[in-house]
Amino acid sequence: MNASGLNLLIAVAMGLNLLALGSGRVSSLIRAVSFQGMALGAMPFLLSHEFSPWVTLVAVATIVGKGWVIPLLLGRAMRAANIERETDPLIGFVPSLLLGAGGTIAAVGLARILPLRPEHAGSLLVPGALASMLTGFILLIGRNKALSQVCGYLILENGIYLFGLLLIHTTPLLVEAGILLDVTVGVFVIGIIVDRIQRAFDTLDTRKLTVLRE
Amino acid sequence: MIGPLLLFALVALGLGALAGRRSPAVWVALTLAAGVALGAAGVAVGFGLQPDWDWRSGFPVGGQALHLRLDALSALFLILLAGVGLAGTAYSHTYLTLNDGIDPSAPARGRLWWNGLIFHLAVVLINSNGLHFLIGWELFTVCAYFLITLDRRRLAVRQAGWLYLAASHAGTIALFAFFTLLASATGSWDLGPLRERTDLAPLFWLALFGFGLKAGLFPLHVWLPSAHANAPSHVSALLSGVTLKLGIYGLLRFSGWLPVPASAGWVILGLGAVGALAGIVFALVQTDLKRLLAYCSVENIGVILIGLGGALVAAGEPAADWGRLALAGALLHVWTHGFAKALLFLGAGTVVHAAGTRDLGRMGGLWRALPFTAVAFLVGSASMSGLPPLAGLVGEWLVYLGLFDAVASHGPAGWAAGPAVIALALAGAVALATFTKANALVFLGAPRSSPSHALHEPDRWRSAPTFGLAGAVLLLGLAPAFVAPILARASEAWRPFDTGTAAVRVPLISLGRFQLILALVLVGVAFALWRRVHHLGVTRGPTWDCGYAQPSRRMQYTAGAMGGTVGGWFTWFLRPERSQRRPRGPLPDRAFILDRPRETVLEGVVTPVARQVLRVSTAVRRLQHGRLQSYILYIVIGLAALGLIVLVQGGRP
Amino acid sequence: MSLLWDLPLRLAFWLLLAPLVPGLINRIKAWVAGRRGPPLLQLYYDLARLWRKQVVMSSLASPGFILGPAVAWVAVVVAALLLPLGPAGTVLGFSGDALALVYLLALARFATAWAAMETGSAFEGMGVVREVSFAVLAEGSILSALLALGVQSHSLALNQMLAPTVGTGSALLAAGLFTVLLAENCRVPFDDPNTHLELTMIHEVMVLDHSGPPLAAILHGASVKLLLFSVLLVQAVLPVANLPAPAAAALLAGGVLGVVVGIGLVESLIARLAFRKVPLLLTTAFLLCLFALLVAWKGGAG
Repeated sequence: MNASGLNLLIAVAMGLNLLALGSGRVSSLIRAVSFQGMALGAMPFLLSHEFSPWVTLVAVATIVGKGWVIPLLLGRAMRAANIERETDPLIGFVPSLLLGAGGTIAAVGLARILPLRPEHAGSLLVPGALASMLTGFILLIGRNKALSQVCGYLILENGIYLFGLLLIHTTPLLVEAGILLDVTVGVFVIGIIVDRIQRAFDTLDTRKLTVLRE
Repeated sequence: MIGPLLLFALVALGLGALAGRRSPAVWVALTLAAGVALGAAGVAVGFGLQPDWDWRSGFPVGGQALHLRLDALSALFLILLAGVGLAGTAYSHTYLTLNDGIDPSAPARGRLWWNGLIFHLAVVLINSNGLHFLIGWELFTVCAYFLITLDRRRLAVRQAGWLYLAASHAGTIALFAFFTLLASATGSWDLGPLRERTDLAPLFWLALFGFGLKAGLFPLHVWLPSAHANAPSHVSALLSGVTLKLGIYGLLRFSGWLPVPASAGWVILGLGAVGALAGIVFALVQTDLKRLLAYCSVENIGVILIGLGGALVAAGEPAADWGRLALAGALLHVWTHGFAKALLFLGAGTVVHAAGTRDLGRMGGLWRALPFTAVAFLVGSASMSGLPPLAGLVGEWLVYLGLFDAVASHGPAGWAAGPAVIALALAGAVALATFTKANALVFLGAPRSSPSHALHEPDRWRSAPTFGLAGAVLLLGLAPAFVAPILARASEAWRPFDTGTAAVRVPLISLGRFQLILALVLVGVAFALWRRVHHLGVTRGPTWDCGYAQPSRRMQYTAGAMGGTVGGWFTWFLRPERSQRRPRGPLPDRAFILDRPRETVLEGVVTPVARQVLRVSTAVRRLQHGRLQSYILYIVIGLAALGLIVLVQGGRP
Repeated sequence: MSLLWDLPLRLAFWLLLAPLVPGLINRIKAWVAGRRGPPLLQLYYDLARLWRKQVVMSSLASPGFILGPAVAWVAVVVAALLLPLGPAGTVLGFSGDALALVYLLALARFATAWAAMETGSAFEGMGVVREVSFAVLAEGSILSALLALGVQSHSLALNQMLAPTVGTGSALLAAGLFTVLLAENCRVPFDDPNTHLELTMIHEVMVLDHSGPPLAAILHGASVKLLLFSVLLVQAVLPVANLPAPAAAALLAGGVLGVVVGIGLVESLIARLAFRKVPLLLTTAFLLCLFALLVAWKGGAG
């Protein structure tokens, strides 16, 4: 196992979390998600001891799916919906950045306390997973645009994926593959819905969708 | 030697109080003499010229024998009291009789309560008996109340005084509980080192509340801004410079004499870090000069508490060297903040008298009328912002050194020290913004409103103390190594550490050398540039301002705007009251935006809670209606309940 | 080398070399834009010219208007003298000089702001507010960076702190400090040193009303500050102090040149940031330094 390489990739993913929190434009948010997906997809290569076609397949699928297909779909939805490029946050950029950074630090601290198996003790997997999930939640809570929320959802899923990597030796990647499929379908559905909402209401601001509550 | 000095000082204060009504000259002479005597006693003990002083009376006072003691820790605070007391006394000699529309009886009352306040502050500092400590504490609070409400015809003053009195008594209740529990646990009111009684540790939380409230510890500071802003300025100087420090003195004294819970240091460090940052952010957005200074005191109390908290954390660790630095920093900051803040309040008194308002938005350009006050105020401000080569840096510097060492040592204390360093850095930068604002709005630019009467520098009685304090601030900055002995002795008197003089001496010497060189170079280069400019000649003209043709004084930056940017980042916390009218249409006629800073903790937390309490007590009050029959019913119910309790407990008492 | 020789040499280094840095940056910008650009020594000419010029002073201004730039200049130059210079080490150094450096920069800021407020101009008031406000974040970043270096080296003396071990932390530190450098020296994307007429400027607006020798002091001080930050950045990130003298000198010079080229490229390729985004970028710099601190802390504990 190439531990330092893995840690570097996770650190990059954590940096991308903060980038996602600080980026004001949907397009850069999508780009951050895309890069994070690629970084995550490369991780199984570093984790597995010997070459295995199944791992390779899932890793490639992840890279293609998370790093390329989903962002492409999102980008297309963005252009199709013709939304403004600037997002309009509920929680400002600086506060969400500080929240995310505080969460990341707390995650690193927390991972020291958690009773982990010794081979995971020095790894950033758990902090990375926690930080990504937190980032996802902040985006889901703090952004108004449906597309930003989708990106938050994807980052949240990335966190779950990182947790899944902890178990790579005991469970097959089949579970992860299932999740990935799930997400892909979900994004498809959201893309379609976004398109329909845009046509029906002329807006993608989720605040304005609250009129539908009844 | 010490006993007679202190006796003389206290008697002189008492006689001065009596003389104050009839003859101000006798009053000022006696009070100044008392201040000198207090200072001399403090210096003698603090710098080790005399051994620590300890005296018990053979006769009881109020049921207890007097027990007075003066060690280096008390001496440190006594010197501060003497210094600020002297300055304030001299300043008030003519300041009290200025006719600022104040009550005609105010000067006489002012002299009486002023002496009372100094007297009781000194008594608290040298007391070693819990009962007398408590009585002295209560009496100085009352004296301070009467001083704050000296100008009792104004509603704001009466409200501020009332809030001060109410809040102080909340603190006094905690202290009352603290001292009585202590006395009942030890069987004596006598105070002294009792570090082996670990069962007393939980009492610390009571002390933290009581003393912390008096010190203006952040969430408990609600009474402070209005009291310090509305008091006459020499009183504000003494309150901000010294009485706040009495809270610190109490915390130091009893965290040193009594055992503390293991988490105490962490809690104090955390409260200090939050308080430093919150206090200074509140200071930055104020539009009232004296309120700004008052909030700045909240910040500095935070800095001192960071040092004290660090020392307490370090006391529980094996390698405690960094704690000595932090403690010495806290102790020194007590002095530097005390003197600089007194200087600023005295300067503010002069400014407020000259401008006829405390509102920063109506001042400006006062350097022309008050050039010397401007220089003194600048010295105080620069020191308060921690700028070299002045005193404010020195205390903060030691705290920083301690915290850096704590982080570098990789102990668990680093988790507390690291964030504290960053909070301190942010607070320092905001403090700089705050004092840039204060100086610029008061002294620089063009006057924002026409002053009511002709402006002039104050008389000698008022300018001398201002300059004396400025000199103290400069001296402490340029030669900090001279205070190393008293810091070392005070740390020793604090107890949890054994002696460690060298840890403090070395950095003070190197910093002092640096400050001295810097000061010389500053003076030299400034003089050279000045000469060069005047050699070439100076042309005066209107402000160029990028060629703007019609500048007017109303276009200058205002108090709200100067604090706006950083204030905007903290809106979620400051919750200012905003009124605005946006410009509309192609040719907007009138637009404004106005942020009024609020007393957020008071208005947002304390008042609602108080209202709830009041509602509940009003409901309870319905039980009291004057019908005898019902009262008898209450008694019957009470007796029945008591009987029931006895029955349930099976007859056991 | 004795103090008697060392100090004047150092002073000469800082005073004489500093004005070259803005010239270099301008050449790089001109080269990228395909222009000829101003001469390399333009700032020297400017300084010489200003030193002989008469001063025009606002009728509102007090003597502080002239003394402010002098104080700011001294503060920056003394701060520069505190820095170790690669193989030459340090001459004025003492334990805690890192903090003195931060406070000297604060002193310079205070003096500049004071002088700017003398004029009573709304424009300069705006610059002052921005300068002191953004400095809050910049100072937080610098102290976090110093804390990270202090944790690495177990010291608070600059000549020991600036001997870093290269790793992940250095990369974070480099990014963070470079951003702070851009902000503190009024460079794109925070500010544009070439304009004097836009509402988005920060530092430059404070010195609008200065002229003659005080303006020369301000310009020269700004160039010293830029060189100071470059030298600090290079020594905080590259292991200059651990190398033999000639290599260290070469690495230091190369590093500073690299930083200068970096600034030139950033100024050429990046547009100035929308003004309300400035706190966001500075917060990012702050977080970078904070994470560098965490990395250093973790590395030291392990």
